[in-house]
Parts: sequence; structure tokens; C-alpha cells
Amino acid sequence: MTVTTQKGDAIKTGLARPDRSQWDRLGPLSAILSFRWILVAFVLILWFVYYPIIDNFVVSTKNQDIFTGETSFVGLDNYRRLQGDPVVWTAIVNNTLYAVISVVFQVFGAFVLAALIEGLSEERWRRFWRAVYFVPSAISITVTGLLFYFIYQPDIGLLDSALTHIGLSDWSRAWLGEEQTAIYAIIAMSQWQGFGYSTLLFAIAIQKIPRELYDAAIMDGAGIWRRLWNITFPLTREMTGLMVIVTITGAFQVFNEVMVMTGGGPNNSSQVLGTWLYQQGFIENDFGYGAAIASVIFVITLMTGFAQLWYTKRRRVEL
Amino acid sequence: MKATMFLSTTSLSSLIAAALLMGSVGAGSAAEPAVADPDAKVDYSGTISVLTKFGLQQLSPFFTDAAKQYEKLHPGVKVELIQESDDSVKGKTKALVASNSLPDVYFTWTGSWGENFVRGKRAVDLTPVIGPDTEWGKTLAPAAVSAFQYGGKLYGIPLYLDAKFMGYNKSLFKKAGVAEPKTFEDLLSACAALKKSGVTPVSFGNKEGWPGVHYAGQLLAYNVPQATLEKDFVPATAEYTDPGYVASLKQFKQIVDECSDGSGTNGASYASALQQFSNGKSAMYYQEIIEFDQATADGALKREDFGFFKLPVPKDAKGDVKAIEGAPEGYMINTASKNIPLAIDFMRFVTSAENGKVLSAPPYGQPSATVGGYSADSMNPAVVDGLKVIADSSYLMPWLDTANPPRVAAAWLSGLQALVGGSMTPDEVMERVKEAAASSK
Repeated sequence: MTVTTQKGDAIKTGLARPDRSQWDRLGPLSAILSFRWILVAFVLILWFVYYPIIDNFVVSTKNQDIFTGETSFVGLDNYRRLQGDPVVWTAIVNNTLYAVISVVFQVFGAFVLAALIEGLSEERWRRFWRAVYFVPSAISITVTGLLFYFIYQPDIGLLDSALTHIGLSDWSRAWLGEEQTAIYAIIAMSQWQGFGYSTLLFAIAIQKIPRELYDAAIMDGAGIWRRLWNITFPLTREMTGLMVIVTITGAFQVFNEVMVMTGGGPNNSSQVLGTWLYQQGFIENDFGYGAAIASVIFVITLMTGFAQLWYTKRRRVEL
Repeated sequence: MKATMFLSTTSLSSLIAAALLMGSVGAGSAAEPAVADPDAKVDYSGTISVLTKFGLQQLSPFFTDAAKQYEKLHPGVKVELIQESDDSVKGKTKALVASNSLPDVYFTWTGSWGENFVRGKRAVDLTPVIGPDTEWGKTLAPAAVSAFQYGGKLYGIPLYLDAKFMGYNKSLFKKAGVAEPKTFEDLLSACAALKKSGVTPVSFGNKEGWPGVHYAGQLLAYNVPQATLEKDFVPATAEYTDPGYVASLKQFKQIVDECSDGSGTNGASYASALQQFSNGKSAMYYQEIIEFDQATADGALKREDFGFFKLPVPKDAKGDVKAIEGAPEGYMINTASKNIPLAIDFMRFVTSAENGKVLSAPPYGQPSATVGGYSADSMNPAVVDGLKVIADSSYLMPWLDTANPPRVAAAWLSGLQALVGGSMTPDEVMERVKEAAASSK
């Protein structure tokens, strides 16, 4: 095992990587032989993933009437239209809110919770709490949407009833029916559902940290927060980086939650890029414009992914 | 948010690209206009596919049973059904059109929705077989058949008639000492009295947007002259400047504020509002005649307690006060169908008087467009009475969201949600509609 410090110093720990010399001796033949195993998967990925992405850019430069099949080339008009579309900006703000709140709860919140659970001394309690937090993630989004639809019902819903019981009846409102609260209500539901999933992933990452490091830190007099900051956090940095990427890209791809809960309303206040894309393509027959929105989502998520990978690679700590 | 999603945006964009790819392939063999041949011999073999709007659990057996009976009559035929709900049928149809996989027979509304298929040469001209002087045409309500007329030709097969009424709970009205409202002002007074008696006067769920559009549609028919409305439905001539539009929206807002739960209704679904009414928690519910049986199906509201009236006419209305919002709904035959005579024959079977009676009676309660296709003895009396009101109406005001082009329809939907929520005034909503109409020209 090798521990690489931030300065790049490597410490050998005795565990060697697998010997690749046999493969190396085969030279280029090895590469060809290896390639055949992934050929089918490679063709499928090209056809079903990369080709649609490229074709989507092509479609975004056209206007097409799906009923007549007539197509006209419009160049970058659909992208110019994006700039002046107020709903697109509402959607970008909503997606960004989704991303920021999700990173706070599902990355940093989940990290702290996972550390607390893994810090419990008895395994049965660790298992119990992991299960408790993971259960919401096992429920389908449609069921969750319906469940929260009833929780958010004005006056008779669980949330408003609870607020009334604790003397905060002034706070009760139609959470999904008001433009100011609809998107926050959806984001809150999403945190409830995704929190446990992230916690479980962090718990797995924390379990991989050698116990001796904590024991040594305890002997040196490090407290719980010190251990969390100086051991747990650096050694789960890769998982944290991955979770940030997954969470941010997920936030810009969000669709089902919004569709089930509000359909983007009221008055487009809870539209996100995914639902606005759907509205333009499948409701307003404007597939070219829908494809332009899809391209924006693709660029945002791709850039987020690259930025985060670059950052994580720079700060990698290996065991 | 979960890391994995059921339908991600990437999937959506792939879907769009895939649909358009297939569409562009099909565009090379663009649909050719087709005219039904009344003398064509029907080849009773092979498969016909049918896209219906009867996906709801209580409605789906109608087509399933009809298909089984047809298959029994013609053993060489297999009927494949794609049953969608009212909310999903639009998206499903567009996906099928984009991928050139429209079934042999498919559901359609009247207005600009149906016109899309005619424009795209995807609907068979049925005039020679369904025209007023034809054998089949004589068995169908003429007004219902002509609702699918485009460019002087008939393209649709009407299955049932539909119109919007205010359903009410007679017991709750009696308890509150309220009579059936005759004028718009009576309606508002009734709401005040019902509120005092402790019930929600009108259950209204506007999460989908179109329930609000339905109120507005009826009020527009009352306040805006028919000729102006029909001119404004066409993008090339649309102006939306008649003062009746703003007046209608003000009246709609009054209903929302004084009769319903107000701005919160944007968060409630149409179905949950129906449930509220069925369970006796609200006194009124603005509904389609095809939903009369659902309202009294299994809730606290009994059939004998159910009453209905047309949305009352506001004072000084300048439009057609005898108009009612509604339209027949029906089916078209795909020009690309490999067996057009068989598809037509299947729909002739579905629209037979015998099947019409089944369709009109509970549990379906969809008033058949077939002459003699219903029997008052087996039907909900309210549906029978509703049909009389439709027959007495001078104009069938089409649904705003299917009469207008998609962009204008979307402006109505979001604008009325904003009006309900209080973030836009009637004038601002009309500005949005005008802008959408201008960009649709």
C-alpha cells in the first residue's frame, strides 16, 4: 500500500500492484486482443450515447414541424432565443438552487451523518441507522412525489397540520401552489429522498479508513472534530469529489421530481431545464428549441464534471 | 436527489434526437393524402393498432371489450390497444408522430389539435364514408361529425360528446339554504352562503393548468363574440384585443377568490378536487359531462344528490350567452395504415348503436355521438339532462388549449395559473397571450 501526501511523497507500505509484465510482452497484440472484449460495448455506447449527443446539437440548429415533417435550418437562432427566454433563466436559477442545497445536504450533511453513524461503537446500531436513512432512497420517485403531494396539501396536509399544532399556523400555506415556495418544496422532498443514499456511500468510504489512524490520533489527544477534519475528511476526499459531481450534474438533470409534483408550475415558477425542455419539445412541438436547451444542460454538466475531476485529482490521497 | 434517475435529461435529449432521427427518415416517404373508398372490400386479416384516451381504470374495459368482440366476429383480425389517459395522450401521440409510428386508429380532439394531423397528411379523408348522406354518416350526430371538418372535408369519427357543467351537491345547497344559481351574481352569493355553512363552495384543482383554462373558456364564450373568438384562434388573424377577454378573466378571478380555496388551488390536482366533491367536502365542482358518473361512483355523494347547471352568464355579457364549452372527441384513421378499410370497419363497429349504449351507460357515462346510441333507461339521468342542454346550445366553444396553437395554449395555461396565484393581473395575462399569438404567426 502507498500513501501519497499532498506534497507528492510516496510511502511504500508493502502491498505491490499486480504484475503486468506478461501482458506487456505481447505488445500491440495485447491491445488488439483486449479491445475485442469491449468492442460490442463500445459500439453500443457510440450509437446510443455519443451519437444522440452529436445529433442533438444538429437538431438544435433546425426547426421541425413533427406533423408535416418539414425541417428548416435556423443556425444558432434557437440559442439566441434562449438568452431572451425568461423561463430559461428561472430554470437555471432553480437548477442552481437545487445544486447548492443538494451539495450542502447530500454531500456535507451526509458526510457528517455518516461519520457520526460509523463512530458508533456497536455494529447493530450502525446497521440500524444506515437502514433508517437509506429507506427513503428505495422508494420510487412517483410514490415519493405522491406522498409529498399529500404532505404539502394546504390545511389538511401533514406539514400544515404540524405547523398548526405547534402554534405556527401563520406559516401554513399551499407549498406547491405558490410561486415563491413550489421549487423549495420540491427540493426539500428531494433531500429527504437522496440524503440516505449519500450517507450510505460515505459510510462505505469511511469504513475503508484504517482504524489504526483513529487510534493513533486518539492517543495523541485528538478530539472527535479534529479526527473528522484531519483523518476522515482527507481520506474520503475522492468520494466527496465524486458525490459533488454526481449531485451537481444530477441537479441540472432533474426532471421526475418536478414533473410529478408541479409540472413546472405554478406559472413556470418551478421549471427546471429538464421540464422546460420537455414542455418545448413534447407540448409546444418545438423540438429544435428543446434540443438547444438539452445542449445547454449537457455543456453545464460536462463542465462541472471536468472541473470537479481536475480538482479531486490534484488533492488525491491514496492509501 | 438520487444519483440515478428514472428519466434523466440526457435520456430526454436522446429521446428527442432518436424521435427526430426516425422522423427525418420517415420524412423521405412523407405521408400521402388518402381518401376513404366506400366500395373498398374489407380484408379481415392482420393487426390494427388503436390509440385511445380510455387509459383510466374505469374506462379502459370499453375498448378492451369492443376489441375482443370484434376479434370474435373476425377471427383473422388482431386489435392492439394503446390506452392512454387524458393527461398522457398528448405526449404519447406526439412521440408516435415524431417517430412515424402513429397507429392505424388514433384519438383526437377537435380544433387545432385535429388540424395538425390533416396538415401533416396523417388523417384519411373520410368524407365519402362518413358524410351526411352516407350510410354510416346517418347514424352519427351531424354536429359531432362536422366538428372534425377541415377545408370542407371530414376527417374524424366522433365517439362521444363532451361539455362542461358545474356539478353541485343538492344536500349541501339545501343545508346552506342556497338555490341553484341562475346568474353569475347568484353564484357568488351562493358561494358566500356556502362558506358560512362551513363547506368549500367550489373544489378547484389547477395544478395541471387546464382546469382554469376551462373556466376561462366558458366565460370567453359568454363575453367575446363567436366570430372574434374564431378569428383569434387562427395565428394569422389573432389579435386578442376584444375587451371581453379581460372581463372574462376578472370574472374567473372572482370565482377563484370568492368560491374556491384561492391561490392554493394551483397546488391541488384536478383529480383531488373531484375527490373532494365526491366525498361531500365541497358543494360544487366544474366538470365535464363525461365525469358525471365518476363524481357519484363511490364517494359520499349519492346520484340523487347530484345536480348540475351551466356556468351562469355574467351581467352585460357581449358574446353568445347560449354557448357551452365543449366538443365531441373522436378518432382519425392513419393515412399510413396498411389496411385502411379494416381500420374504418373497426370504428364503424365501435360506433354502433349497441356499443354506443354501453358507452353512454355507467360506469363509462360517455354520451355517445351515435344517433340512438344511448338509452335514457340505462343512463345516469343527469347525463341525459346534460345532453339536452348541449342540444339546446347555440355554439360549442372548443377547449382553449386545443383550439389554439401550442405556444398560445401554453401562455393561457401559465398565465391563468399566475392569475390564480395573484402574480399577474387579467391585463398582464392577455399581454402574454398576445405575445404568444404574435410569435406563432
